[in-house]
Amino acid sequence: MNEAVMNELVDPTMNARSNPETEDSLNIEYTDTVGQPLCEKAKIRTQNVNVFYADNQAIHNVSLDIGAHEVIALIGPSGCGKSTYLRTLNRMNDTIDICRVEGKILLDDENIYSKKQDPVLLRARVGMVFQKPNPFPKSIYDNVAYGPRIHGLTRNKSELDDLVEDSLIKAGLFAEVKDRLHAPGTGLSGGQQQRLCIARTIAVQPEVILMDEPASALDPIATAKIEELMNELKENFTIVIVTHSMQQAARVSQRTAYFHMGRLIEVGETDQIFTNPAHELTEKYITGRFG
Amino acid sequence: MKFSALIFLLLLFAAFSYFMARQKITTAYRQHKQKKKILTLPKYFGYVAALCSLLPALLVLFFLQVVEEPYINSEISAYIVESNIDANEDLDLYLNDIKSADTPEKVSALSPEKQQVYQRYHEIETTTNRTISVVVLALSILLAIWGLKKINTDTPARKVFEKIIEGILLLAASIAIMTTVGIVFSVLFESTRFFGEVPILSFMFGTEWSPQTAIRADQVGSSAAFGAVPLFVGTMLISFIALLVSVPLGLMSAIYLSEYASKSIRSVAKPVLEILAGIPTVVYGFFAALTVAPFIRDLGESLGLSVASESALAAGLVMGIMIIPFVSSLSDDVLSAVPQSLREGSLGLGATRSETIIKVLIPAALPGIVGGVLLAASRAIGETMIVVMAAGLAANLTVNPLEAVTTVTVQIVTLLTGDQEFDSAKTLAAFALGLMLFVTTLILNVIALHVVRKYREQYE
Repeated sequence: MNEAVMNELVDPTMNARSNPETEDSLNIEYTDTVGQPLCEKAKIRTQNVNVFYADNQAIHNVSLDIGAHEVIALIGPSGCGKSTYLRTLNRMNDTIDICRVEGKILLDDENIYSKKQDPVLLRARVGMVFQKPNPFPKSIYDNVAYGPRIHGLTRNKSELDDLVEDSLIKAGLFAEVKDRLHAPGTGLSGGQQQRLCIARTIAVQPEVILMDEPASALDPIATAKIEELMNELKENFTIVIVTHSMQQAARVSQRTAYFHMGRLIEVGETDQIFTNPAHELTEKYITGRFG
Repeated sequence: MKFSALIFLLLLFAAFSYFMARQKITTAYRQHKQKKKILTLPKYFGYVAALCSLLPALLVLFFLQVVEEPYINSEISAYIVESNIDANEDLDLYLNDIKSADTPEKVSALSPEKQQVYQRYHEIETTTNRTISVVVLALSILLAIWGLKKINTDTPARKVFEKIIEGILLLAASIAIMTTVGIVFSVLFESTRFFGEVPILSFMFGTEWSPQTAIRADQVGSSAAFGAVPLFVGTMLISFIALLVSVPLGLMSAIYLSEYASKSIRSVAKPVLEILAGIPTVVYGFFAALTVAPFIRDLGESLGLSVASESALAAGLVMGIMIIPFVSSLSDDVLSAVPQSLREGSLGLGATRSETIIKVLIPAALPGIVGGVLLAASRAIGETMIVVMAAGLAANLTVNPLEAVTTVTVQIVTLLTGDQEFDSAKTLAAFALGLMLFVTTLILNVIALHVVRKYREQYE
């Protein structure tokens, strides 16, 4: 990354807003995604995905591969469709009545929107961490044991104990909570709650973890811990993260995808996107001219 | 002067002081040319001035009205004694005759002596009324003038107004509380009179209830028995059957409405369900007595069971239907209030909808659900009409739902209807039953509160 861009990332106000451009004035009448949306060893392949909320189209013709054991960051201004796209990957949008998804989404080359696919089992394979920490109003132990219990992953109490401990260790929370596993999870601090939610997700042993702005409600120290955690988790999991913080995307991801008004504008190696964006819109966004 | 006219005049004075005070402050503001600063609005000074003339006058009026009657009574009694009129009847009755003569015909129908007393009574009443009116009006005018004179731009009008509002709200709240306290004490007092005649232990633990006291000693059933156990067992039996019906049905319909139903179904089904609560209980009562009870009896007979034509089961079933809305409406509200993020968290882990509901939503909504059940239970315990019509009056000590039983509330009704001497044990028993019912529901509430505190899963 060159220095000038780094400066802008650190202080986006430097040249931001000096020449305000509204999103309307930008030309988004383009056709194809710039960069390399495809991967050799893809875990998830999405092909020509369109998402509609009733009559409003939220996602326009997005094709993107998510490689195995990579961290891919989805960035873009508010309302650009990145969260909607993320939620199509584990069919979380099914819970919204008016939402309709078109196109193909393949997990290990199986279409997850086919009739045979059970969304409940899919969500066990593709876990999700939400923007606001949402621990269940149960004990820390029961929060982590929730998934294994409903899926019958363990045969007895001691196996479950081990799985809970292991998940908490992987989420970097065990040392802080080992003396109070039976205290309510809602009593933890915001950052601890979010790591508890990550532990809860890991406990189900998913293949992919979707993270929807997992650190946006946290302070910088808690954020740093979550980011450190993601670096460790990518050994075992494929991670898709939506973030508003470009520094965060630059720190944690190998690839970055830039969304704008429901379209996938550019995909590439993270370094390349932040140092040498190919598309005019990407450049304007990462240099802080809008968004 | 008539009471209504007096009130009207007081309001008129208050309105007058309002406008005068507002005018005074507006003028003062204009003279000081303080337009740029943000000032207390003139209307607040108006309110303060108006209340200053109105409130004390109303209080004094209320007080005088209360003491007026005893004063007139004592005056007229003194007059009767003074003029040596022979009021050999009860003095109260004598006065009553005179006071009830409100038309000229009735007055002329009185005996000459009474007419004389009536004249005196009329004089006293007129003078007292006039005095009250003059005092109240004078007070109101004086306070209005004093207030208008005192009020100026430095008066903390907004603060004073807020204080007055607070006082009015406090008064409203305390009326409800005082009423409750008053009822409790009156029930408690009458109950102690009852327990003076019937030992408290034989009331609480006696198993026979037959409150008929004979007028003559040689009549049948001359010895009354006040054992409340059959009544409480009957109440509990019917309430239990009702809850057995309403809790599962209500909870499940609440879950359907809040978690599964589409918006359009919900917008129709919820109000319709709540209409159930608006049906008068007497309608449920004859439905229970004329339709459900015979149906159960016939069904029982065809199965070879002997069923009373008035059975606890019939009353309990219908009562259960009646209290469904109390369970479902409250549970629906609390389930809907559980944050969406908890649902998504559970679904995101691969839980099904029903797993999410059982393991996350219901524990989180437990306090509200228990609250709804409790409300339904107290309705069931206090319900009278359905039981009178469908379960009968026979105080059987049984837990067999196919037999006729009776409840505490039904017995209170039968004890107090008809001509009764108010100080007989039979009448006073109603208060004792009421007290026990009150204590029972109180204990239920405390238990439920404890359960909720222990098992609730608190989100946020």
